[in-house]
Amino acid sequence: MRAPAVIALAIGLGGLGLAGTAAADVQAGGRVAGTVTVTESDGQPAAAADVIVYVVGFNEPPSDKVTTIAQKGRKFIPALIAITVNERVAFPNLDPFLHNVFSQSVPRKFDLGSFTRNETKQKDFPVPGVVDVYCNIHPEMAATILVLPNRRHTVVGSDGKYTLDGVPPGDWTVFAYARRARPTSARVTVKPGGEATVDLAIVRGAEPAHLNKYGEKYHDGGQTYR
Amino acid sequence: MRTAFAFLLVACVLARPAHAGRSFYGWLYGTEVMPERGVELQSWIQDENDKYGTRIKETWLSWGPLVGITDQLELGLPVELVWSDIISPMDQSEKVSFTFKRFGIEARYRLVPPDPVEAPPFSPMIRVAVKRDVTVRDAVRIEGDAVLAYEAGTFQGLIDVGITGDLAPSSRHFELHPGAGVSVLATGDLRVGVEVYSELSLDSLAESWATAGPNLSWTHGRFWVSGMFGVGLYHVKVAPRVIWGIAF
Repeated sequence: MRAPAVIALAIGLGGLGLAGTAAADVQAGGRVAGTVTVTESDGQPAAAADVIVYVVGFNEPPSDKVTTIAQKGRKFIPALIAITVNERVAFPNLDPFLHNVFSQSVPRKFDLGSFTRNETKQKDFPVPGVVDVYCNIHPEMAATILVLPNRRHTVVGSDGKYTLDGVPPGDWTVFAYARRARPTSARVTVKPGGEATVDLAIVRGAEPAHLNKYGEKYHDGGQTYR
Repeated sequence: MRTAFAFLLVACVLARPAHAGRSFYGWLYGTEVMPERGVELQSWIQDENDKYGTRIKETWLSWGPLVGITDQLELGLPVELVWSDIISPMDQSEKVSFTFKRFGIEARYRLVPPDPVEAPPFSPMIRVAVKRDVTVRDAVRIEGDAVLAYEAGTFQGLIDVGITGDLAPSSRHFELHPGAGVSVLATGDLRVGVEVYSELSLDSLAESWATAGPNLSWTHGRFWVSGMFGVGLYHVKVAPRVIWGIAF
């Protein structure tokens, strides 16, 4: 099973886990902190860049913010974001040529069409899960959107450390997610006003191949064309 | 000369518009449009056999590109050819011809976002077209369609009310083209359903006809095809129609 499928299942179960529960009591919540260690598949240590830690098992309403994934230099920047269910993501094209952003992921299929420099299109994400985003023109462009059931998620610092505040009391699961890696998780018990430490380790692999929006291999063996 | 004029008039009046646009149906327009800057080549073939008591047999072929101007507006440039076998009602003489019949431009505007998550259950689409009649030099055809689709899970129901007008200095002819259908996702990318379609003359220059039958639609990557095998309900024997498109 591919990593996205694993995490999608985890997120889905997490969302269902609080389906019948009252809204999380963030005010009386505790803190979850720790360190994420990243290594490459050959065992070499790697920087903890573009790693997101989140907690599942309870639901929270979305914020009003719009998170941005820019298209610049034939890359998605950032290549990994986390949002809460029903939040929006903006996709501005900052390159002087066309991009065609799309996703064929089950939680959110969309096709933004081809749009040019300084144009921005937005999408909302009403279903929790992992949404892999690509460009139909440039195969090297890939990004991932984690659509999470609550707002307890954060980007890990370059030193590998993270802190999640306002986690409601209870027994939850903490995940660390990075692109090109299987997510790892650990159980955590959060007490009101308390702090729980959870250290996680993930191993990065190679970027998996993907198909274009028609389900085909890209032309020219995946080389970029404009 | 009079016979020739009669043939010309009949051919002009009875000429049917070829349809454009992605659809789950054979004779009905869908409400989907191309994404912005998307391009698709579409073709369609339709038979109209034994219309008006075996007097007319026609096969239409239409081809043309469709371009997504925005995510809700697409532009088409159809070219239409027709093979016809017409028996003159005046002297029972028969004329068989195959000709380049029309070319034109059409616009389709979807009134709600195309994204299935953002779109409401009801999605309306308006289509307008202007076409030049090659065989009648000073004639113009105008076409319009108002389409409303309702989606619920794997089910889609659709109503398409079209109108056509053949405008020439010496004559005008109008038709109403109402139709309706349902389509259900059967498995994978295959849909099945039924539909009914009719062309109702609003004057005495032509007669009306109607057909109904099962439809089938299949999508495979950048390719899609839909078709309907129409059995005659009124003034036509069979009227099958197939549309296919390839996106780029």
